[in-house]
Amino acid sequence: MASFILRKAEPKDVSDILRLIKELAKYEEMEDQVILTEKELLEDGFGEHPFYHCVVAEVPKEHQSSEGHTVVGFAMYYFTYDPWIGKLLYLEDFYVMKEYRGYGMGSEILKKLSHTAVKTRCSSMHFIVAEWNKPSIEFYKRRGASDLSSEEGWRLFEIDKQYLVKMSSEE
Amino acid sequence: MNYTVRDSTPEDCKDIMRLIVDLAEYEKMANEVKLTHKELEADGFSSNPFFKCLVAEVPEEFKSKEGHTLVGYGFYFFTYSTFKGRAVYLEDLYVMPEFRGKGIGKALMSHIAQIGRARGCVRMQFTVLDWNKPSLDFYSSQGALNLTATEGWQLLRFEGDHLEKLAQSAN
Repeated sequence: MASFILRKAEPKDVSDILRLIKELAKYEEMEDQVILTEKELLEDGFGEHPFYHCVVAEVPKEHQSSEGHTVVGFAMYYFTYDPWIGKLLYLEDFYVMKEYRGYGMGSEILKKLSHTAVKTRCSSMHFIVAEWNKPSIEFYKRRGASDLSSEEGWRLFEIDKQYLVKMSSEE
Repeated sequence: MNYTVRDSTPEDCKDIMRLIVDLAEYEKMANEVKLTHKELEADGFSSNPFFKCLVAEVPEEFKSKEGHTLVGYGFYFFTYSTFKGRAVYLEDLYVMPEFRGKGIGKALMSHIAQIGRARGCVRMQFTVLDWNKPSLDFYSSQGALNLTATEGWQLLRFEGDHLEKLAQSAN
């Protein structure tokens, strides 16, 4: 199997996107943390000011997955901003179904996104990877990615809803 | 000594740039600031802004040694989590040393949390340098979790030549 296309996601793709999000979460051992719904994905990605952009990888019907799917990979990204250098492209999720790996889909998706980054005058593409995820870290490092957590000591922090609510009600 | 927290305007960009450089100096990376206040203005105040910025201002009679009344800023934008949906990312938070200890940092953060909640955000994320103990302690006290420590997330980046090379190999 060699043919696949990469295209911009459309509203009709949201159920496939959610399916792939859950598969990736399962791989990251965080499946129970996905609470996002198709409705939210639709509203947040295809409204007037989308919160994210999405690219999907699709195979022809004759190469559909064992469960009948033709959308077999995706990448979700959005634009962020670094006050030192300007616009950045942030790669939020990037996943290809297991049975479709090894055909260069992941590589093509990454190339397409870096092309988008350069076209939109982004200085850099950022993303996070779990430190135990050696295959992914190697994949990225082979293509020239630097690990800013090791090199510069950046640590990712989060304040979740309960503390956000608390903080926003304090003056 | 009183202060106000308000949304920034295009006219604030020179001051914001001054504070961005101050923070970069504190982070020992001042030579990495390439952005100009003109780019900041174009990217932050168009119909599709890439970031938002709140500023903290003091009255004339409390201006800094060098005559500034804009003494702090909180730089943020909206991102997306495939697990939980809308999120707010705190890119920069800074208060000039002579104005610290008065609750300005907390006020800036609290306003951003409020704005985030109003927009339906379920979390706020940010990165902190591992040696920055005062900030690590401050964020901990607000309920922040260190996801690099607890979940092993590493921040990676493709930039400059590596990004260009990756882009040029796209079909």
